[in-house]
Amino acid sequence: MRPQWANRGALAFLFGTPAMLGLIGFLVVPFLMAIGLTLTNQKLLSPQDTRIVGLSNYERLLGLTMIRQDSVLGVNGDTGFERVRDVTRRTPRLHGYKPLGQAEFGSTRLVLLARDPIFIQSLLNTILFAVMVVPLQCSLALALALLVNAGLPGQRLFRTVYFSPVVMSMVVVAVIWAFLFNRDLGLINQFLSWATFGKFQPVDWLGNPATAMPAIVIMSAWQGAGLQMLIFLAGLQAIPKELYDAARIDGATAFQRFLHVTLPGLSRTIAFVIIITTIAAFGLFTQVDVMTQGGPANATSTVMFYAIERGVRGQDIAYGSTITVVYFVLIATLALLQQRFFARRAGS
Amino acid sequence: MRRSPIMFSAMVLLTASCGEKPVDTRANLHLWQHQTGPEEHEANKQLIARFNAGHPDLKIHAQTIPQGSYPQSVMAAAMAGRLPCVLTVDSPMVPAFVWAGHIRPLDDLIDRNAFAEIAPAGLGRYNGHIYAVGQFDAALAIFTRRSTLAQVGARIPTVQHPWTREEFDGLLGKLKATGRWQVPLDLGTREPNPNWWTYAYSPLLQSFGGDLIDRGANQTAQGVLNGPAAQQWAVWFRSLFVNGFARRQEPDDQSLLHGRVAMAYTGNWRAPDLEKAFGKDLLILPPPDLGHGVVIGGGSWQWAISSTCKSPKEAANFIQHVIRTDEIADMASAAGMIPSTEAAAERTSRFRRGGDWRVFFDLSRAYAQQRPSTPAFTTISNAWYRAARDIMDGTNPRDSLDDAVDEIDQSIQDNGGFATVAKGKSR
Repeated sequence: MRPQWANRGALAFLFGTPAMLGLIGFLVVPFLMAIGLTLTNQKLLSPQDTRIVGLSNYERLLGLTMIRQDSVLGVNGDTGFERVRDVTRRTPRLHGYKPLGQAEFGSTRLVLLARDPIFIQSLLNTILFAVMVVPLQCSLALALALLVNAGLPGQRLFRTVYFSPVVMSMVVVAVIWAFLFNRDLGLINQFLSWATFGKFQPVDWLGNPATAMPAIVIMSAWQGAGLQMLIFLAGLQAIPKELYDAARIDGATAFQRFLHVTLPGLSRTIAFVIIITTIAAFGLFTQVDVMTQGGPANATSTVMFYAIERGVRGQDIAYGSTITVVYFVLIATLALLQQRFFARRAGS
Repeated sequence: MRRSPIMFSAMVLLTASCGEKPVDTRANLHLWQHQTGPEEHEANKQLIARFNAGHPDLKIHAQTIPQGSYPQSVMAAAMAGRLPCVLTVDSPMVPAFVWAGHIRPLDDLIDRNAFAEIAPAGLGRYNGHIYAVGQFDAALAIFTRRSTLAQVGARIPTVQHPWTREEFDGLLGKLKATGRWQVPLDLGTREPNPNWWTYAYSPLLQSFGGDLIDRGANQTAQGVLNGPAAQQWAVWFRSLFVNGFARRQEPDDQSLLHGRVAMAYTGNWRAPDLEKAFGKDLLILPPPDLGHGVVIGGGSWQWAISSTCKSPKEAANFIQHVIRTDEIADMASAAGMIPSTEAAAERTSRFRRGGDWRVFFDLSRAYAQQRPSTPAFTTISNAWYRAARDIMDGTNPRDSLDDAVDEIDQSIQDNGGFATVAKGKSR
């Protein structure tokens, strides 16, 4: 007896229920509660009753304004601008604003002020991380997949080796890499110094605002690429051998075969890998928490890190929730756009 | 419904096993402690065993919780109204716990005279009451080697005559100039913990004449945390890293042991390892006087009684047992921590007058200052941590300190000045 359509629907519902209950209980409900929290002043440790504060958490998070300053004569007779914090701390309307950026035009200066510049910087840092890590990690994964799919001896071993960082705890990996990146004793500086016959000046990779984020990018790509490699491997093995044979008969070089057979055959896999890598990149937290704690000078602070920092460690759970809700909206929009982009390309 | 008789009997059984066993008539007292080193943990176990032996009508159930998640566990239990009767609290957190209504005054239950001998830093006071009491304290000092100082001809300072700022900076320069060390000093800045930064570096700020908050009413940090003294501190602190006197992040906490640095600024808990390595060559010295006297942080983990405790009398008995001279001396000896009373110190081989580690006791008694006694402590500590770390990494010190002040003052304002709220529930 074949099941009826209605029965199959009921059956699907039945099978889906445990997962749905889990998702609703641990994801949907907490998220809805978080949205509720953003409208309050809930703290983690406070005897005071929680009050509804409307949208003031959002205002504190996203508030932006601009001021114009005219240059003033300094005590020494030189001209300059008044210190921005002296202005903001004196003017009630600007209370709580901090400088985010500025531009000078002769004797006037425009200063962009934000209520929470660290959040904006964290957002930019996260985007910067994603922009750097997604191409690096995906191309590394593809290269590894091609390598272990090339039919070289020992590829089973290498497949395991390349995948092993994924299985390791991120905390352990981050601690080890923090040692590798150490300025005076780290292996990376020692190697670079040895390879350049001592010409290389040791770099404080994690202590320098310019190199801290790239260092985390390299470490993250190394740790995560194994997973994407497996997905690419599956994609590679799904490409019909006949296509390669036909290309070979037509006289295509290895590179041409890669460009015109492998890449088009992988297009769906690539889209999928890019989307999941991007989503994972936007959740960057562990590496930052272990290796740099957002430093130096907030150069590696990410949104997730900042949300935990404020919401849990700073005990301001309402504000932490606000950060995550705003972030959710941003990421959901981005994921939808990305999906639409790939869908349109696949359709054309 | 055919199963219901079975269900019923199962429930009866369950209820019976949950209830008090008829054989054991002792009152139960639940206790939480943070996880510590093995010696201290063992000493705590023995302390509880001795108390249980001396009180046949009482039974202590002790639970140990990892230190990293201890504050979260306590906070979660407090929100759920399920705190144990007796718990350990880190001393700067005492005011926040009082304010939130989670712990009750000890001096309501125990005669104040019982605490007369305890060092000020061993008592968690707030609003004129004693809420927590500790058996021991810790102290930070400069650790170095006699041979190291002899090499550059530096004076060996004493608790009465510490190094001045000029001497200290000059010494760092001389040590650096020998070329034996890439950096001469380990400040401990690798530790990513706001409470450590407050404990270790805000005393240096105080020694410059600044402070974390105006301690008069604990209502503002304006002019104190960002005043001229604080800015001087910031410039000095930054200079240690710019001049190559200290690394912003040592790879581990063994720098002095492995000879990577000449001096380390760290706590008495490092003394056993260093003593084992250097023997009589080890020097334990007071931190420098940076202008307004030596300051070190005071206040360690302390015992408190929760407001929800159903048997406060019994809990108070336990606290009284904890602060007995012999118990304090035993714990201090086992954990290598500074005893809270002079009498207990005299009963230890290390901290009695003339003992190897007496210097910690003297430092603690002479220079220890407690962290600000306000529920805003967590906010202050986080703001300070961010500012001090950014200053270390080269941000504008005035801007960073102003931001910290604004954050602290805003939080105090948001919380209505942390005025004690009269509450209907609990107590």
